[in-house]
Amino acid sequence: MNERGTHDDGGFEESPLEEELRRAAAILDPVPAELSRLAVEAFALHDLDARLAELTFDSLIDGIPVRGESDPPRMLTFHAGEVSLDVEVSAQGLIGQVLPPQPARIEVLSGPGTARPLAADDLGRFTADVAPAGPFALRLRAGGEVVVTEWLRA
Amino acid sequence: MDRTDVGALVQSAADGDAGAWKALVEGLGPLVWSVVRAHGLSDADAHEVYQTAWFRFAQHLGRLREPEKAGSWLASTARHECLKVFRASRRWTPTDDPQVLDRVSEDRTPEESVLDSEEAAAQSERVRRLWQEFEALGERCRQLLRVLIASPQPSYQEVSAALGIAVGSIGPTRQRCLRRLRARLESRGAV
Repeated sequence: MNERGTHDDGGFEESPLEEELRRAAAILDPVPAELSRLAVEAFALHDLDARLAELTFDSLIDGIPVRGESDPPRMLTFHAGEVSLDVEVSAQGLIGQVLPPQPARIEVLSGPGTARPLAADDLGRFTADVAPAGPFALRLRAGGEVVVTEWLRA
Repeated sequence: MDRTDVGALVQSAADGDAGAWKALVEGLGPLVWSVVRAHGLSDADAHEVYQTAWFRFAQHLGRLREPEKAGSWLASTARHECLKVFRASRRWTPTDDPQVLDRVSEDRTPEESVLDSEEAAAQSERVRRLWQEFEALGERCRQLLRVLIASPQPSYQEVSAALGIAVGSIGPTRQRCLRRLRARLESRGAV
């Protein structure tokens, strides 16, 4: 099917029309300057000292739709080794639990250089009255270790 | 940025080189942006997905199994976040809303301002007409071409990761979509 235009996988030859379209995209639909700046600043989020807690459950993807609930809370589970984090995000805010239960200091991050502490009890249960808007991650300090969840979008 | 440099740049960035990171943002940012634009998100959603993809990439820098495929990693991450936007129905925004797509004149980029000068008026008109015809293509063609025309041009692997389509289907679809676009332009005497 492929004409001479395509080579294996590194790239492909261009038609003049496509090249013109590429220039048009660069002019009319470029990456907004603000977003480029934020992406450059995101280098600060490269944190070698923290353990990464991977998202292992997201009700948006893995959940079964609940009949009759038009705006169900979003359930998230993150894992970093033995530690896991259950989080529930709704319009009312955010609640969660560190497992196994343990005292922890927890912060909500909403971008490079932004950290807002959350109230947490001795069992690692935490709450926030305000739901995160946009990209967020949680940073957890427990037992001399720092764990950060994968960034996602609320 | 040459795509062959990506692996080395990722390595340098993981070792703390901010310049390498900046080069990655410059070289792969347009690809990530093309993915969110191809999915037709509202501006607000597009901005958040774009940031999320880069924030997560920063976290995974030193952990990528195949650093040379960072473009595919970012494209795939952006795509999955786009799909989550659609899943969260409360955030659903129609993809074919002409008001959303017809956003060309709102924020003037410096390049656009140049286009506005009188000498460039004719060229500007041509670019706008081309873009208009491109946006009037069917969804599948618009999606594929939007990613293909990111700068610098993405590899087929990256396009595949960006749209969840087989590498083998890209070439034929691309040819067909370009033919369609050319036909539209010709029928309006724009070529």
